[in-house]
Amino acid sequence: MEIRYENFRIWTEDETVFFDGVLRLAGPEAYAPIYSLALAALHENNERVIFDLTGLEFLNSSGINLLAKLTIEARTLAVVRLVVKGTARYPWQSKSLPNLKKLYPQLDLQLA
Amino acid sequence: MADLGGVRAETILMANTQIGNRPWGSFRAKFILVVGGAVLFDLLISGGLALWNVQRLSRDATEEVGHGLEQASLDYIRTYANSTAAQVSLLLGQVNNDVGVLAGVLQEQIDNPKGQAEIGSAISGISPGSVGLSFNPAGQWAQNAPGSPSVVSAWGYLLDKDHSPRTDVQTEIRASAVLDLIAPSLLKNGSSKLQMYFIGPKDRPIFRTAPYTEQAQTFDRLYPGHNDANFWDFFFPGLYEAWQGWAVGRGSRPVPNEITQTAPYTDAITGKQIVSFFHPLWSADRKSVAGTAGADITLDQLAGIVENVKVADSGFGFLAMSDGNVIAISKEGERTIGLRSASGGQGTGVTGLERSLRDSSQPAIAQLASNHDDGIRHLLLDQNGEPVPFMVIMKELPPVNLWEPGKVRQDAMSLGIVVPEREIYASLFAAQTKIFDATNRIVVYQVLAILLSLMIVTMAVLAVSKRITGGISALAGAARRIQAQDYSVRVPVSSRDEVGEASEAFNRMAEQISYHTDNLEQLVEERTVEIEGAKEEISALNALLERENRRLGTELAVAERIQMMVLPLASELAASKDLEIAAYMSAADEVGGDYYDVLEADGRFKIGIGDVTGHGLESGVLMLMVQSVARALQEAGTTDPVKFLVDLNSALFKNIVRTRIDKHLTLAFLDYDGSDMLISGQHEEVIVVRANGNLERIATMDLGLPIGLESDISPFVGTRKVPLAKDDIIILHTDGVTEAENEKGELFGIDRLCQEAVRLHLQSADLIVAGIIDKLMAYIGPHKIHDDITLLVLRHR
Repeated sequence: MEIRYENFRIWTEDETVFFDGVLRLAGPEAYAPIYSLALAALHENNERVIFDLTGLEFLNSSGINLLAKLTIEARTLAVVRLVVKGTARYPWQSKSLPNLKKLYPQLDLQLA
Repeated sequence: MADLGGVRAETILMANTQIGNRPWGSFRAKFILVVGGAVLFDLLISGGLALWNVQRLSRDATEEVGHGLEQASLDYIRTYANSTAAQVSLLLGQVNNDVGVLAGVLQEQIDNPKGQAEIGSAISGISPGSVGLSFNPAGQWAQNAPGSPSVVSAWGYLLDKDHSPRTDVQTEIRASAVLDLIAPSLLKNGSSKLQMYFIGPKDRPIFRTAPYTEQAQTFDRLYPGHNDANFWDFFFPGLYEAWQGWAVGRGSRPVPNEITQTAPYTDAITGKQIVSFFHPLWSADRKSVAGTAGADITLDQLAGIVENVKVADSGFGFLAMSDGNVIAISKEGERTIGLRSASGGQGTGVTGLERSLRDSSQPAIAQLASNHDDGIRHLLLDQNGEPVPFMVIMKELPPVNLWEPGKVRQDAMSLGIVVPEREIYASLFAAQTKIFDATNRIVVYQVLAILLSLMIVTMAVLAVSKRITGGISALAGAARRIQAQDYSVRVPVSSRDEVGEASEAFNRMAEQISYHTDNLEQLVEERTVEIEGAKEEISALNALLERENRRLGTELAVAERIQMMVLPLASELAASKDLEIAAYMSAADEVGGDYYDVLEADGRFKIGIGDVTGHGLESGVLMLMVQSVARALQEAGTTDPVKFLVDLNSALFKNIVRTRIDKHLTLAFLDYDGSDMLISGQHEEVIVVRANGNLERIATMDLGLPIGLESDISPFVGTRKVPLAKDDIIILHTDGVTEAENEKGELFGIDRLCQEAVRLHLQSADLIVAGIIDKLMAYIGPHKIHDDITLLVLRHR
């Protein structure tokens, strides 16, 4: 699966969902396809799902809301171990990603 | 195939039209030019060579024929002149011979006196009239009576008193009677002579002449006074003395010949122009002259020979003495060479005709008089004012002894033949004309042949070129039609050469293009139908979108209205006696969900700042709810910041669930109690710049959780106390400030914001806000502003 626009690309490889580029979509409706893709990844993989955000330069607040919702969803599934890979290179990641850990303490946040 | 016929006709028509449009640029024209040029060149070279050769042949032939004819003509004239000269010589020779015979007989008489007397007596007996003279008182001379074969005259000074001849004279008369025997037969035979005569020696110069004429009477009439002078001295002065000189050896004969000739003169007896031929007689001892035998011929005889000369049309002859005096010539000839007659008789003796070349009106002829050597001369004679070339051939006759008054000298007559060159060369000219005509004819035929060949070749080239280039023209025409998108065109394949191959290939290509074009058209047609369908669909969608846009536009307008309505009034910002508050908010194109607030109750100030995710009406509504709840809690006297936040979240979470607003927000509050600032809730970093310029950045990550995600956030909410002194400033902002991008996509960032805050911290809150916003806007430039920008500056008074 892959969603690709001129300045971002989101795709899955096995258990990993890669987020790349700049995501500045308008609202929940605009993020719905990405939400579906990530949600499907959460549901299809029994053990572990990795969100690899190391290539995501920017994510607006609606996008952060999406990540929060996905984290809460993962928390409800419980059996799945969610790993979020981030990087301190992009300011928004160190600012927003720790909240995911607060929402779901079992989440494996890897901020490199 | 029926179709193809139509196409072919059309194609050929088009090709012709095209050639008509560019007559010198077409392939056919070039082909014709090249082939035609080559043939023309070849024809001109070969024709020119032929013409040149013909001209040269003509020139050579003319030269050769001219040379031959000229030589033949000259030979002919030369021969003619020789033969005419021979005729003249023959005539003169015969006269000489006759005179010689007479002289021989008379000399024999002298040498034999006895026989002489006997013959004389015998003749006297037979013919007494021949020796019996009677006196003529009127003339004072004696002469025999008519009836004898000859007349004999004895002049007055030869008579005695009784008017009878002296004895010695009578003896001479009797002796000369022998003339009667010979002269008549000599006159009758041989060449035509006027008369023959005997003249006695100087002391008894009787004059016996045959035939009989009244000679003394004639003398009296023509030469008065002759009877008073000696005959010899009167008529031929010097002649007798010359002969006498020969006899005594005092002088020699100029020509070794006894005959002495006179120049033409008027005959005393007949009155005609005559020439006399004398043969002197000698005494028996040969010591003295004993008279002479003579014969006269008229000039007519010589003139007859000369005037009979007939060379070409108007050629003529003349006979001239060595002094240039012309003695025989036709009237026509006389006029041609410009002779003028003058009366003679200037000197003594017999008088003659003076008609000299020397006096000719033609300078070329006058020159001839002084130089009449043998040979051919080419002279220009004036004829009616125009110079006409003549050829003159001179031939000198054998020399003779010529008497002229006082002496005898050698002289030679010259025969001249005069012919207009035009007539001599008439045949040459005729031959040349014929050759010239023939040459011209050949040239004309040659030129005609060249023109004819050229015409035939041109027609052939035109015909062939049409065949050869027709295929190419047809190809070009067809290619143009394909260019004009007529893919139905086909080229007729009329030959099996490269052009034919090209035509076949062209037809195959045209077929393929036609096929593809037809298919393409069908495809385009299908696609057009599809596109038209899609267009309608798009129009419908567009209409829908327009409606949606209008709706969204309305929503945005409402949201913006709500956002602005909720913001605190300027009076509320200025309400605190301790805090100087300045605020700036700018909504993005699509209104975001930024929120800030200043709530006051019972002297307590609560300053809030938040950021709802997303944009639009829902964000605005959510913000309104946040504001309302916050106001309510503040009014309700909730002083515990933690409880304040937890309750607010709880209320909001429930409302979010109810309203299915799929959003949350960051939210932080600053509680000011007059000395310290208490920070709670999770939002952007709080920037503090102390009065001394020290910068403090206070992270709020651990002071809360976004509102609306969890029903209970109490485990996450905390507070942080920041003591606040005079002139310290606090800066609050939303991510619209730090995440604003410049043209290169680089973020403004927290560091730049802090720098500006430090730089501006001594200024009033309003100026700090204005300075930072100026800096930020300059940084963004023309780039898009993605999010709401909110900036709050609090300054401790």
